[in-house]
Formats: sequence, structure tokens, C-alpha cells
Amino acid sequence: MIEIFKVVFSNFKFLILSVVIFSSMLTILLLISEFIFLEPYFVSHIPSGSELGFILIVVLSGLSALVIPMNLFRIINLKNSKQKMSGSIFGTIVGSAAGACSCGPIGFAVISTFGSVGATATAFLTNYEIPIRIIAIGILVITYFTTIKSLKSECKVQF
Amino acid sequence: MNKKGVILGMLVISLIAVIITSMSSSTDESFDVDMTRTHGSISTALGSPILGDPLAPITIVEFGDYQCHQCYNWFHDTKPMIMRDYVETGKVNLVFVDFAFLGKDSPKAAQATYCADDQNMYWEYHNSLYTSQESKIDNGWASSERLKAFAFNLNLDMDLFNECLDSEKYSKRVQYNSQQARDNGVRGTPGFFIVDSDYNQTQIGGAQPFSVFQKILDSMI
Repeated sequence: MIEIFKVVFSNFKFLILSVVIFSSMLTILLLISEFIFLEPYFVSHIPSGSELGFILIVVLSGLSALVIPMNLFRIINLKNSKQKMSGSIFGTIVGSAAGACSCGPIGFAVISTFGSVGATATAFLTNYEIPIRIIAIGILVITYFTTIKSLKSECKVQF
Repeated sequence: MNKKGVILGMLVISLIAVIITSMSSSTDESFDVDMTRTHGSISTALGSPILGDPLAPITIVEFGDYQCHQCYNWFHDTKPMIMRDYVETGKVNLVFVDFAFLGKDSPKAAQATYCADDQNMYWEYHNSLYTSQESKIDNGWASSERLKAFAFNLNLDMDLFNECLDSEKYSKRVQYNSQQARDNGVRGTPGFFIVDSDYNQTQIGGAQPFSVFQKILDSMI
């Protein structure tokens, strides 16, 4: 497994991509979940009872930062199919959408635009934020292991 | 001539019906409020009673939804410290204005607070809603039956409360308050405006921690 990491992330472009994905996802998700505020002052805090939500955001961002560059590596260097890329993108999007639509500006915009349908959708995403994020993490973990397995055989890495 | 008479008669009857309808609806929705009450750019006339000293030089106007989990977080994490350091010391007072947009039970919950206010129990009822809030929106925790149960637990006159809630007496009041939120650029709950006696106002979006409120309030005092 470490050999696979070395192969993928020894390429500076993929390392940078991973850092960009992690930092941007983490920042955006922490902002929309109201763990970080930019106005009127920059401030970060974890309300009591929200610790699990915070941990899931960090795990989701970390897994996305691992899985997406590894899949891109497969596609670019091994000219492989894009089938497994969809798993990582899907997991990332699903995990990001959960919790984004609560009482914050995104939820308000969705409800204002789509009315009762938007309200139902945001209520669902808010009510099941934690399970949805766990499912998204599950998708990313499965994608991660299938990618590792695939890279092992396709790169013919010897352990 | 007869035809004209019939038309004229129908018009008179319609006019009388309209006048009677408008008079009866205005009677249903009449309530004792100071319609001139404003804080900065916000009309808080139909919002909550003032919590704290009405003559305090600074007012925090909170826009909130009773089903909003971030409002619950603010209520439990930040508000107690603001109450202790600023409201109970007479430096600041607080007004709650409904921004009921999250689910179908949100407007009803907001209306119920004003039904409690009819019996001078607004803040007690407000507190019981934020204490009893469940994490799922529209799962029934703020249904009419539960709202009545909260009133019962506060020993309110249930005949008065039920009549008020079932008649949707305060429906337009809640709509007016939600429109105030939109008009003042609130884009989510909780949203706050801190207004001083010179009508300077600072907007805060979201359930921000006590340190943010402390910094702004101390700069205004």
C-alpha cells in the first residue's frame, strides 16, 4: 500500500492536487457547516454536540484528497477506464451535500428558489446529515481499496 | 330599470359583505403591540417582547426559526453568557423576531409563542421550544398537539391557547416578521443585528460564539 502511495504522490502534481482538494474541501465544508465564520471576524468553534460532524468532515476531506488523485493517476498514466473515478466523485459530492443545506444561507437559497420541494430536500439533507456523511465515507473507503487493488495489479507493484 | 336596481342591490350587498369580512378579520388579528417599535432598520413591532431592560442602550435582534438546529446551539452555548454578562446587568436587551422558513411546522411554532404571549408567557414558551427541539425538521416535535402540550406544561389557560393556535390568529404576524428578515438581508438562521442607541448596527450571521458578541458589544458600550 505504501508503495502505491509512493508511486502516485511522488509525482508533485498529484501531491499538490491532494493538498488543494483537502484544504479546499475542509474549508468549504467547515464554512457551510458553521464551524468557521469569516464575518465580522474570523473565528472557528465547535459547538458542544457537533464533534462527530466535525470529525466526519475531516475524514471526508482526507479520503477525497486521497482517492481522487489516485483515480486521476490511473486514468492519466494507465489510460484506464473512468469507472472508478465516478465512485470517488460521487462519494465526495454526496458527503459534501449533507449538512450544507441546513438553516444557513445555502438552505435559505434552496428553499427560496424551489419552495416546498426545496424545503423537503433541505430537511432531508439536514435530518440525515450524519448517516449521509457516513455513507459517503463508506463509498470513498470502498473506492479507495478497489483503486489500491487495481493499481497493484495494473502497475504490477511487488510487495 | 329593474335590471339596474338588481345590479345596484347586488353591489350594495357585496360592499356590505366586504366591509363585514374586513371588520371581522381585523378583529381576529388585533393584538396589543407598539407598531412604532423599531431597532435600527428593523421593525420589531410584531416581534417578541423585550427581554431585559427596555431602556438598555444596546439591543440584540435575533432572527430565528424554532426548528433550526444552529439556533438551538446558539440558545444553549452563547445566549446564557450574553444573558449573564450583558442582559442581566442592564447593558443590553434582546428581541426575537421569527424567520420561520425551514419547515411546515416552523410558522405554527412561531405563532404558538404569541399565543403564549397573550398570557404573558412568551419567553417561558420560547425557552421551552428551544429546550425541547429535536434534531429532525418536521418530524412532529413541533406539531400542533406537541405545541399544545408545551403550553399545558407551562400551566397556560388551555382554552385560550388552543383557540388562539387553531384560529391561526398570529399567522400574519409571523409572516410580517419573516418579511422583516428578508428585507434586512438575513440569509439564514440564526441572524443577528446588534443596534446601539445611535442606530449603528452590526450584522452577525450564524450561531457565532460568545467571543464575537463580546467583542462587538464591548466596542459599543
